[in-house]
Amino acid sequence: MFKDLDPILHSQLRLAVMSLLISVKQAEFTFIKEKTNSTAGNLSAQVQKLKEAGYIEVLKEFKDNYPNTTCKITQKGIKAFEEYVKALQQYLQVKK
Amino acid sequence: MNEKELSGEESIKLINRMIYQAKGYFFESGLSSIVYGISILICTILVYFFEKGAIDFPFNPFYLMIPVFFAQGFIQFKEDKKKKVKTFTDEAIEHVWMGFFLATFAALCGNFANAGYIIVTIILLLTAFAVFIIGLLSKFRYNILCGIICFLIAVISFFLQNPNIYLLLATDAILVWLIPGIILRRHFKKQQHQHI
Repeated sequence: MFKDLDPILHSQLRLAVMSLLISVKQAEFTFIKEKTNSTAGNLSAQVQKLKEAGYIEVLKEFKDNYPNTTCKITQKGIKAFEEYVKALQQYLQVKK
Repeated sequence: MNEKELSGEESIKLINRMIYQAKGYFFESGLSSIVYGISILICTILVYFFEKGAIDFPFNPFYLMIPVFFAQGFIQFKEDKKKKVKTFTDEAIEHVWMGFFLATFAALCGNFANAGYIIVTIILLLTAFAVFIIGLLSKFRYNILCGIICFLIAVISFFLQNPNIYLLLATDAILVWLIPGIILRRHFKKQQHQHI
């Protein structure tokens, strides 16, 4: 019996964001937008959902007088991602 | 990227693709490395001639490194602000350099105990260790090779406990900071040119 996939992570853009953040300590919103090839509005909405789930931290500050948003994965986010990958691997093995 | 539900295989592919994308990011202008390398080179050459009695200096030329530390710290601070991503490797490398500078400072305190040229040998060993570890962390082959060469230079320094030891320190400055700084600067300028 395999675990259900986390619905917060089982979504293309949110999974892409978490996959990027699991590899780096922190990344700017513009970097994430560039790598996920998403719109600012859509990315903003998904980042907010991940933040509400406690999977990422969002830091807003000013850089050269412009607002700058930085995202960082939390311990809860790392654990959720690891569990998601394990569940995914189980699911794929069952499918075989 | 759209908000759609993925199949298992698509999820794994997406994870792999994003992790690969994240690892591809590199932002290092090499400027602080070049500044530090040139400064150490000039100071060691001045100290060499000073100890040989060839030039007069009102104080030990290494004191000129004090403003350089502040300048380099400022350059690094400005460059860090420009980075869009901070990786775990970046953090580990910062910690290694922090440890190196603290250990070097501690070694320099040996001057108060008239420890002599062995202080330079200790600094050469610390430099070799730092650059070797950083090479392993960043998988930058030049640094790994450079670290090994610096270890050999440190061993040679045990047999060169006289003013000529500063020439070994100058060699370290070129190998550890100046050459990598120039390599990084060229790579950085190429990247900037591609983005324009």
